[in-house]
Amino acid sequence: MNRFELSAEPLDTGKLKNGLRHARAGGFASFEGWVRNHNEGRDVGRLEYEAFAAVAEKEGTRIVTEAIERFGVTAAHCVHRVGDLRIGDLAVWVGVSAEHRGEAFVACRYIIDQIKARVPIWKKEHYSDGVTGWVNCERVSGPEPPQPALPATTDGLYVRQIALKEVGENGQRLLSEARVLVVGAGGLGSPALMYLAAAGVGHIGICEGDTLEASNLHRQVLYRRSQVGQSKAHIAAQQLRELNPDTEITVIDVSLDADNAESLFNQHDLVLDCSDNLKLKFLLNAAALRTSTPVVFASVYQYEGQLHVFDPRTGAPCLRCVWPREPNVAPTCNEAGVLGPVPGVFGSLQAMEALKQLLSLPGRLSGELLMLDLLSFRSTKISASRLADCEICSRTPDQIELPRPGEFEIALDMDLAEVDPGLRNDYVVIDIREQDEVSARPLTTLPHRHIAMSTFSLDAPPIEPDQPYLLCCASGTRSRSLAIELRQRGFAHVYSQTGGVDHLDHGHSRGGD
Amino acid sequence: MTQVNVQYYAIFREQAGASDESVETGATTAGELYAELCDRHNFSLPAAALRAVVNEEFADWDTPISDGDRVVFIPPVAGG
Ligand SMILES: [Zn+2]
Repeated sequence: MNRFELSAEPLDTGKLKNGLRHARAGGFASFEGWVRNHNEGRDVGRLEYEAFAAVAEKEGTRIVTEAIERFGVTAAHCVHRVGDLRIGDLAVWVGVSAEHRGEAFVACRYIIDQIKARVPIWKKEHYSDGVTGWVNCERVSGPEPPQPALPATTDGLYVRQIALKEVGENGQRLLSEARVLVVGAGGLGSPALMYLAAAGVGHIGICEGDTLEASNLHRQVLYRRSQVGQSKAHIAAQQLRELNPDTEITVIDVSLDADNAESLFNQHDLVLDCSDNLKLKFLLNAAALRTSTPVVFASVYQYEGQLHVFDPRTGAPCLRCVWPREPNVAPTCNEAGVLGPVPGVFGSLQAMEALKQLLSLPGRLSGELLMLDLLSFRSTKISASRLADCEICSRTPDQIELPRPGEFEIALDMDLAEVDPGLRNDYVVIDIREQDEVSARPLTTLPHRHIAMSTFSLDAPPIEPDQPYLLCCASGTRSRSLAIELRQRGFAHVYSQTGGVDHLDHGHSRGGD
Repeated sequence: MTQVNVQYYAIFREQAGASDESVETGATTAGELYAELCDRHNFSLPAAALRAVVNEEFADWDTPISDGDRVVFIPPVAGG
């Protein structure tokens, strides 16, 4: 039995309670959340629960385990319903058995409060007037969550932004009702998340599957050195809850992919792309169109970056209109290096654009690409136009298929030294460096062809479709981009030597065949 | 000959060793200009992987260039 479960079937509380019986237990406490017939002044007829199951189960199990460890109870269990529910139905059940009643009550309270705050389950209410609306499960059954210990006066929280005549009380209310998904909690995500929470955005989803590494800390200012090794989504959530206890945070500690993208987009009004991965950016672009959700994109490189907003509702050009052929050559921060404030500036710009979108402020980016170089402070705003035959935005939402990783990026880079010695001879090695590079540092240890990249014809590539090739250059960058071009032209067995000629020479001689 | 101003971002800035330059060229289109600059600076990106911008608008490779144009070649970046 899992300590936290989702159930599409009605719950049998007697059976659930018996599952927690133990000779050591001297008491049992339980909480039941029921569906009530009204919410915030509206009559509710019925409702549906939808869960992001993989994450909900993981996070729910973590919460129940935390409660058992923290309060030393004997056993605990929580089950949450999903699907259609009627008024009076049991929506969530928590049970705890313990030696003494005190810790049973406390653990039970802890579990239900944490489940409501941390587990991605959403509720669609069907009001008696025929209207429906999505709300977070926070507001459904049971007691109000414990009010965090707020300082005596929270009245002044947002006065400096409410003072702006374009914002005002009404704008503040719009922010408190907004649901923003931030994909990636790294260098861009750190400032973006902090500014959104600080501004009083009502709900923030953090989608990030990685754990914190020491090399992240120079730019990912949301984190502390003592947190290295922990799940970034969880520690980000913890920091943001301290920053603004009124903001509801949902942790999605897995990577966004073609299977979960649509459901996640549907639960949010706006998405910030704070990822460092081009494939993912194109997936977000497709999901934006499929679900009519605007996305604020940003990318950085060393000392500069790019910002682009795609709002499918306005007919603006999409990311694919800007990059009609998916570029496979973009280096990430890990490869190219970056100075910390660069993603800091661009993540802040994303938060700024997000607030402009949510508050309908003037001057919102729409289809333009903003480029800014922080060394020279050169900036350029480039206008893009919509491509009539764009493979994404010229289609209707239901024609859009979310891209899945194709086989071609699975293995593009290869190290010949790691290939089984019996298979190495199957690869024809082509040195694509220019003549002067070859003269300066010839490749001596293995048979190969030499075709300089500048003379390599892409219209009539001098290679065979079924033959495996390994391209090699000085560092692995040119060979990679040429390999991509050739793969796109149907030469499926072209690879790029990682690390270039030095690696190849060294690795091969070390291989010793 | 045509005189244009070319700006370099990201990997082009590194490979050209400058963030902009004034170029006198026999090229008549953005594509020809890129080919010429590839030879001069050993640019590693194939044209298909990037976009040309002429006077702050995305341009096709066969877009003509004329005296005084501002040309930028934009590589995709993905860091975050
Ligand atoms: Zn498009």
